[in-house]
Amino acid sequence: MASTSSPQSGSAPENRASDAILAVRDLYRHFGGIKAANGVTLEVGRREIAGLIGPNGSGKSTLFSLVAGTVKPDSGQISFDGHEIAGMNAHRIARLGLARTFQIPAMFDNMTVTENLLAAAAQGHWHGAKERAAETLALLKLEPVAENRASDLSGGQQKLLEFGRVVMRQASLILLDEVTAGVHPNIRKIILEAIARLRERGISFLIIEHDMEMVRNVCDRIIVMDAGRVVTSGAFEDIVRNSEVMQTYLGRPQ
Amino acid sequence: MKSRWAGLIIPVAIVVVLALMPTFVNNYWLRIATGALMWAGLACSWNMLGGYAGYINFGQSAFFGLGAYTTALLMGDPINLPFFVTIPAGIAVTAICAVVVGGPTLRLRGAYFAIATWAFAEALTQFANVMNFTGGIGGLNLPPFLNERFFYYTMVGAAVLTYLITWALFEHSRFGLKVKALRDHEAAAEAMGINTSLVKLQTFVLSAVTASVFGAIFAYWVTFINPKSVFGGDITDQMVVMVLLGGLGSLRGPAIGGVGLFVINRLIWMHWGDTAFYIAILGAAIVLVVLFLPDGIAGLFTRRSTKSGTVLDKAVGKLVGGGEGGRG
Ligand SMILES: Nc1ncnc2c1ncn2[C@@H]1O[C@H](COP(=O)(O)OP(=O)(O)OP(=O)(O)O)[C@@H](O)[C@H]1O
Ligand SMILES: [Mg+2]
Repeated sequence: MASTSSPQSGSAPENRASDAILAVRDLYRHFGGIKAANGVTLEVGRREIAGLIGPNGSGKSTLFSLVAGTVKPDSGQISFDGHEIAGMNAHRIARLGLARTFQIPAMFDNMTVTENLLAAAAQGHWHGAKERAAETLALLKLEPVAENRASDLSGGQQKLLEFGRVVMRQASLILLDEVTAGVHPNIRKIILEAIARLRERGISFLIIEHDMEMVRNVCDRIIVMDAGRVVTSGAFEDIVRNSEVMQTYLGRPQ
Repeated sequence: MKSRWAGLIIPVAIVVVLALMPTFVNNYWLRIATGALMWAGLACSWNMLGGYAGYINFGQSAFFGLGAYTTALLMGDPINLPFFVTIPAGIAVTAICAVVVGGPTLRLRGAYFAIATWAFAEALTQFANVMNFTGGIGGLNLPPFLNERFFYYTMVGAAVLTYLITWALFEHSRFGLKVKALRDHEAAAEAMGINTSLVKLQTFVLSAVTASVFGAIFAYWVTFINPKSVFGGDITDQMVVMVLLGGLGSLRGPAIGGVGLFVINRLIWMHWGDTAFYIAILGAAIVLVVLFLPDGIAGLFTRRSTKSGTVLDKAVGKLVGGGEGGRG
């Protein structure tokens, strides 16, 4: 299996590093015998929306945790917005402008929905936070439950709140881990529109998604992972035409 | 609008009652009121870290005792400082100790912190027992000042201040949002840029320092302290039960639990001349709270669900590990 991540544009490799907001090189991390990251190398360009796909257990969420500093890498380099962040504490990486969602909603259970949003802005983005929280509640149709405890939300509502919290942060790169899974189609559309609007403001995205329809609609470029490494990357159509990738996907329970 | 004024009625009534208390009760009951305020304040101090941050401190008596011993040493011969000067000194000593104990351990799982605080209180007890300058097992005497009203009003001031600080800092500020966020999901709080180790340490220092102020007032009030009376583990035990009964992580709960349990303690003492029965009540209270009232008495008055992930769940989760983790 080829392990090269082929940049889709023809620009020289030396230059790419500077216009990439995120560059991951040879990242390794194992859990016991499981090589969750087994030499991951990839890049996300500025203002790019990159999709990250791959079968269950291929290491997508682990890659997010490694980039965000939630999990420390065994080895490898991660450069984010000009800073070398591999091994750095999660809160310092966040303060450099990185935001991520958790695949399993990481709610502040005993706080209200509004407080969850405000907490996301409590460090460094406080100015106008109350107004932004109100807007976010309206955007995601969470107003009726604004004063409910987060642990009392439905699974889909928790997914929305997870997304709402990254919207509250003023980030330059947002990592979304299956943020629309289990969300009603109408709200899913709202999330996609919100992503498009944030990108217009210059924010880059790396999005884990199993829904190929969504991947096709929002992502500029697809990165495919399998068994802890990047298999290939490129435009959606090229990836779909690549039979090896589709093979990878056939193993996935649908 | 209307409810805002209604919300002020109870606090104003409480302040009026507290201010006028000495005019309608005798000295005996005034002492009980003073003690009730002290325990309410101590319960609030424990709740700052235990309730809002979810880190269980099994050695809070260490800081109560540090405040008491600092005041006793500085007011006694040969230093003879005035009482109010000794309080900041106790605060400084306590803050340094809290940083030394909490700095390394608050980064780890809650169990390490719980053991470290417990061991610190035990070590201080033994230290005070054997050292000469602390008076050993015999303890220390302070210059007697027999003015019940002075101690009552000093305790009112400390308790009200503690309550207001809790209200402002933990319920109405960004800092409180950060503390509660790390209690409920540490990894998510970090991912939002919150320096959880620092916020925990700040909360711990505030909690410890608050207990030390009550220790200082207590020492001057009772004019005699020894290692057991100010470092004893039963002091921490009482705070924990008062907070659990009143409502872990709530604003009013610890005050209610502190006043309630202390008054019950005194009533039992008056009727039976012994408080063994009180210990049984404490034990029963803990069991009942854990089983049926995870949000304590305060939880009875607020619309809170017990569906999952209560504050008690979070604190126990930090203690025994498991729970959130870095996955997902
Ligand atoms: N904290 C951890 N401890 C132990 N094993 C882990 C941990 N985190 C991830 N793993 C393992 O690493 C592998 C990759 O997991 P990861 O969650 O990154 O996959 P994924 O690509 O996100 O899968 P999915 O599409 O199902 O979300 C899995 O085998 C998983 O069991
Ligand atoms: Mg995943």
